[in-house]
Amino acid sequence: MKREIPLFITFITGVLLVIALFVPHKPFGQLQQTFNDWLIIVGGFTMILGLDSLLLHNWEKIKRKKEGWISSAFLIASFFITLFWGFGEGAIAHRSPFDPSATFLRYFYTYVFVPLQATMFSLLAFFIASAAYRAFRAKDGNSTLLLSAAALVMLGRVPAGQEVAPWIFAFVLLLLAYYFFKEGSKTTGTQKTLYLIGALVSILLIYPVFYILLHYLNGIADWIMNIPQMAAKRGIWIGISLGGIAMSLRIILGVEKTYLQ
Amino acid sequence: MRDFLRKAGNIDRRVIYLIIFLAVALTILFKIRFKSTPLPEVKRSYEIINSLPAGSVVMFSIDYDASSMPELDPMLRAMLRHCFEKNLKVIMLGHWPLGLPLGQIALEDVARQYHKKYGVDYVFLGYRPGLQAVMLNLGKEIRSVFSTDYRGTPLDSLPMMRGVHNYNDIAILVGLEAGSVGDMWVQFANARFNQKIILGSTAVITPDLYPYLQAGQIVGLIGGLRGASDYEELVNHPAIASAGMASQTVVHVLIILLILLGNIGYFATRRGK
Repeated sequence: MKREIPLFITFITGVLLVIALFVPHKPFGQLQQTFNDWLIIVGGFTMILGLDSLLLHNWEKIKRKKEGWISSAFLIASFFITLFWGFGEGAIAHRSPFDPSATFLRYFYTYVFVPLQATMFSLLAFFIASAAYRAFRAKDGNSTLLLSAAALVMLGRVPAGQEVAPWIFAFVLLLLAYYFFKEGSKTTGTQKTLYLIGALVSILLIYPVFYILLHYLNGIADWIMNIPQMAAKRGIWIGISLGGIAMSLRIILGVEKTYLQ
Repeated sequence: MRDFLRKAGNIDRRVIYLIIFLAVALTILFKIRFKSTPLPEVKRSYEIINSLPAGSVVMFSIDYDASSMPELDPMLRAMLRHCFEKNLKVIMLGHWPLGLPLGQIALEDVARQYHKKYGVDYVFLGYRPGLQAVMLNLGKEIRSVFSTDYRGTPLDSLPMMRGVHNYNDIAILVGLEAGSVGDMWVQFANARFNQKIILGSTAVITPDLYPYLQAGQIVGLIGGLRGASDYEELVNHPAIASAGMASQTVVHVLIILLILLGNIGYFATRRGK
């Protein structure tokens, strides 16, 4: 019965909500409203469950003196300080725990919580720069394409990017020409000719690439965002949505039961 | 020479951190500015708000927190400035409870600058759990979700809210998004109730929102710090986003140069092997 009752509730709820979407008349239309109200109430209670597991998990860590137990102690202390002070000052004195005019909450929120959270996220800039430097390698055709598209969008989406990008790409072409020339000088025959043609093409491309980027970089960046990027995103989203529909049907029909574990 | 190239491909990460830090800090300290042309989708968002008649209601949804504040807070402030300048009414709510006070602080700050009165020109509703259910119920009757504002004042006793019942009474919904709530607004407020939506988002999730713009499911899109900076320029009030945009420009160029250096080192090492 422990499994059958939840499965039955899921089936009835799912089927009724699907009917309610297509038949917005009584009694189904009203049902949707009722379910929405229930969802809001249940949503509120899930927060209590979340708090319960968060506190228990951290309390266990403190009790067993596991690695990082001091952080858990800070978490629990901060939680109760915020909760009681928040209720006392925010909810009772100011009638809202969100009211920033509540002195403690305003202080705690503005000078502790916001800077901490902002700092955590701002560190990403450093990691991204370091990761881009290490990982973005033009190893093959695909990665070169990705690298070029990323560079065009990164420069095309910032002011002054259009002025800087031509120089960077011209420099890359010059380097490429040098590379081909250097490699060509070590070889003979057809290979040498091919390398020299590569070097010549790279040099010949410098002016047109410079001109195009100087005048059309923003348009190119917009085109990448609006056409190839969007086509890929659409494909991904359609796939996700079809997967979501299939998964919902499996849950409603009781085929998928992992959520009960 | 080859040794130098190899070293170029293996710069210590702490050196990179220092370069990035200096690039950001010095650009802000020396107040370097770059002129930019607003992106078409940002200009469209601006024009849509600009074309609303005085007294129209704009609903702001704060769906971000402090981690996305540098991008979305300037966007919010620029848009609020625009709304109050045009004498539009503002309703604010949100689905990220930890970020909602940021919205409230910005709202009260900008309202004070324009001498706007609470309950007459703007209302702060706060947060209700339930996300999709909240969005669906807002389409039927706002009071079914928010019977009172955040201070417990019944909505009917606020002059501004007397004629506002559901999406039909809201000219534009502006969702400021750092996650997937924007998708929900499109699915529930636009698809079900035909609500006009402008989304402002962090640069990371902006590409996800372009399909909605092209399909007409949202009428405007303001993406990342660039979008915020463009909006600040459009309302003739360059502020923190415009300053940040200069840093971002320098850092983008630096990252491209670092990638280039990394590749030079990579090819030099590969040839050596």
